[in-house]
Amino acid sequence: MAQSLPGMKPRPDKALSLNMKLLSHHELAGFGGIGEGMGMQLAKDGRRILWMAHESAPKNFTAVDVTDPKNPKLVVQTELPHAKVRSNSLDVVGDVMAVAYQTSAVDTKPAGFDMFDISTPESPKLISHFDASGKHSRGVHAVWFVDGEYIHMASGAADFQPTHPSDDQFYRIIDVRKPSKPVEVGRWWMPGTRVGDSVPPPARHPKFDSGFRAHNTNVFPQRPDRAYIGYISGGAVVLDIADKSRPKLVSRWHYSPPYTGFTHTVLPLFGPELLIVSDECTYTDGKDWPKLVWVVDARMETNLVPISTCPLPPVQTFASNGGRFGAHNLHENLPVPGSWRSESIIVGTFFGGGVRAFDVSNPYRPEEIAYYVPPTPKLSKAGSIQLNDVYVDDRGLVFTVDRFAGGLYVLEMTV
Amino acid sequence: MPARSRDVLAGKLPISLITGFLGSGKTTLLKRLLRDPGMNRAAVIINELGEVGIDHELVANSSESMTLLSNGCLCCSVRTDLQETLRELFIKRRAGEVIDFDRVFIETTGLADPVPVLHTLQTDGMLGAQYRLDCVITLVDAVNGLRNLDDTPEAAKQAAVADRIVITKSDIAPPGAVAALEARLERMNPYAARRLAVNGEVDVAFLRDVGPRSTRAATADLDRWLSPSGEPPPAEGAYLGERVRAGVHDASIRSFCLWFDKPFTWDSFSAAVQVLTSLRGSDLLRVKGLVNVAGEPGPVLVQGAQHVFHPPVTLEAWGSEDRRSRIVFITRNLSRESIESLFAAVGTLSAPQG
Repeated sequence: MAQSLPGMKPRPDKALSLNMKLLSHHELAGFGGIGEGMGMQLAKDGRRILWMAHESAPKNFTAVDVTDPKNPKLVVQTELPHAKVRSNSLDVVGDVMAVAYQTSAVDTKPAGFDMFDISTPESPKLISHFDASGKHSRGVHAVWFVDGEYIHMASGAADFQPTHPSDDQFYRIIDVRKPSKPVEVGRWWMPGTRVGDSVPPPARHPKFDSGFRAHNTNVFPQRPDRAYIGYISGGAVVLDIADKSRPKLVSRWHYSPPYTGFTHTVLPLFGPELLIVSDECTYTDGKDWPKLVWVVDARMETNLVPISTCPLPPVQTFASNGGRFGAHNLHENLPVPGSWRSESIIVGTFFGGGVRAFDVSNPYRPEEIAYYVPPTPKLSKAGSIQLNDVYVDDRGLVFTVDRFAGGLYVLEMTV
Repeated sequence: MPARSRDVLAGKLPISLITGFLGSGKTTLLKRLLRDPGMNRAAVIINELGEVGIDHELVANSSESMTLLSNGCLCCSVRTDLQETLRELFIKRRAGEVIDFDRVFIETTGLADPVPVLHTLQTDGMLGAQYRLDCVITLVDAVNGLRNLDDTPEAAKQAAVADRIVITKSDIAPPGAVAALEARLERMNPYAARRLAVNGEVDVAFLRDVGPRSTRAATADLDRWLSPSGEPPPAEGAYLGERVRAGVHDASIRSFCLWFDKPFTWDSFSAAVQVLTSLRGSDLLRVKGLVNVAGEPGPVLVQGAQHVFHPPVTLEAWGSEDRRSRIVFITRNLSRESIESLFAAVGTLSAPQG
């Protein structure tokens, strides 16, 4: 039984919920550690297949049939060639899937991304591999692939020597209109992060130096000439990509220090003219608290103004459970069939804080409207659940994954 | 297609208020509720923990003010006041320090006037954001109930504002007492569903999920909230009532439902409500209804007690053909005719003048 005594510690072995109901839980055949790549395929045979990239080796990606959300079924689970590579990120457009590969050390292969034909979900067929390995490159950390034509990604490159080893992954645009032959069409990096730049390298964060590099690189059909990039130590970056071969800086919102760095996702809400910016918590036990989801007024894109943050539950309670506690991935309103899209409800994962939904219809006062915090998975090395990523489908079902062991949780949101 | 914006009602934790005069059987009902398997995620706020005498084997954990039962039900006593207790419960729930209860039952003291409690739920900003009133449950005992309704204004108010009435002690009541009581209650408050319960035996389902819990609710569901038959609420209490000798106090309590064929503008509706609350707020024991406001996609849900109304909630759609506004009033010393004429006058004034 959960406890209720004043002064007693919370019990991370019990689920907590508000307006989210667990429909099913799938441990993914014992490999329940998922990264930050989730995509839904509406297969031609009518099935809904959820594709997930693993957080680390040995598994590459796993597909689960979630047509019946109460009865998810494993479709396929694939292997990585070795343990020094992780896939971490993937995206699905129709029957084509892009999967990222990042290595733990530079100059290691495979580092880049694969294109797969997943028209038969049980047997994904490799279409091509894009090599991004190099003497100073760890390959690709995150891909954004939503239009079937271009992959926007955080990647190193053979010809790119960073001024600091942590600044190796920058923004690259790859034309995959011919999926068998991906070709780079443009790139942007923060001035000063490449050897030979005319400006000096940026000043490092004194305490939480995570690197001036790209993380999520989002482009939406509503603004095909803009890329919204979480640039980790560099803050939130908006680029003009009207000419893909020459991306230009539009604006940068830089808030660390004094904050603790690691800008992860920049999600534009075009109707209300907001940017929802999420940090990533990367330290355990609350050491890098606060890691937040910010609401930024973007009416004037050259003057981004933060106006509020999404309220999180007390750090004293959750940080002491073990593992990380703070912001991470958001459901990114993917402009693909099957994805839920909302301009007022933001759904995100917060590691030990579970999956949480916020109403930002009053952007000055976001409200927490739903959450689910699963109990600590049995085999987890952290002391609590570590929800890593979330995908909301157009049925309003919330799919969320644990970073280490818990696998997939399927939830119904009742707000 | 799921909605892309929030359902403001679904996000709130429902509260059921349990009222009833001294000796009406609240403790017995609570004992029964606490043992119900369907109460596995409920929080129950009672006056005295010791009073309900929870079986030792049911208690999973306990402290001075809170007890967790082995069926998952959380039981706590009112601390300094109800407002504080509800706030503290929500904060502890969010911090994972208590179970993530999905509803709250509150026992009021036997002598309490329930209207100020309704008032509190409406005026406290934090409580209003996190909780919603699901229903008022009033226990009336078949032995003394009729006399209490006559002699005690609180008892009459408790019955008048109820959404659900549970008649207790029917097994030991003299012959005819239950029928007399039922007739009296029907006259006072025909809009509350009634059930008999012996030794607290009542279906938990009767006591919960009464009020509107989604902006996507069907109109039929809302009619069930306004009227026990599930039919649109009747315009007036049973005619029989007029011939029954009225008690000293509750003679002044009236309940009626006003129907309006034409849609309101929000300005005219709120103007009428403002006049009513400012002049006679203390005599509005309870108001609940669905209002057709021109330009809104669905009915606007209104609820109030005394001077205070909940923020109106617009439902997503009308679920039925009948789009007339329907508003149930429970009033004291305030006639149907005077409220009708007020709405008529405001309607005339706000209509475009030729």
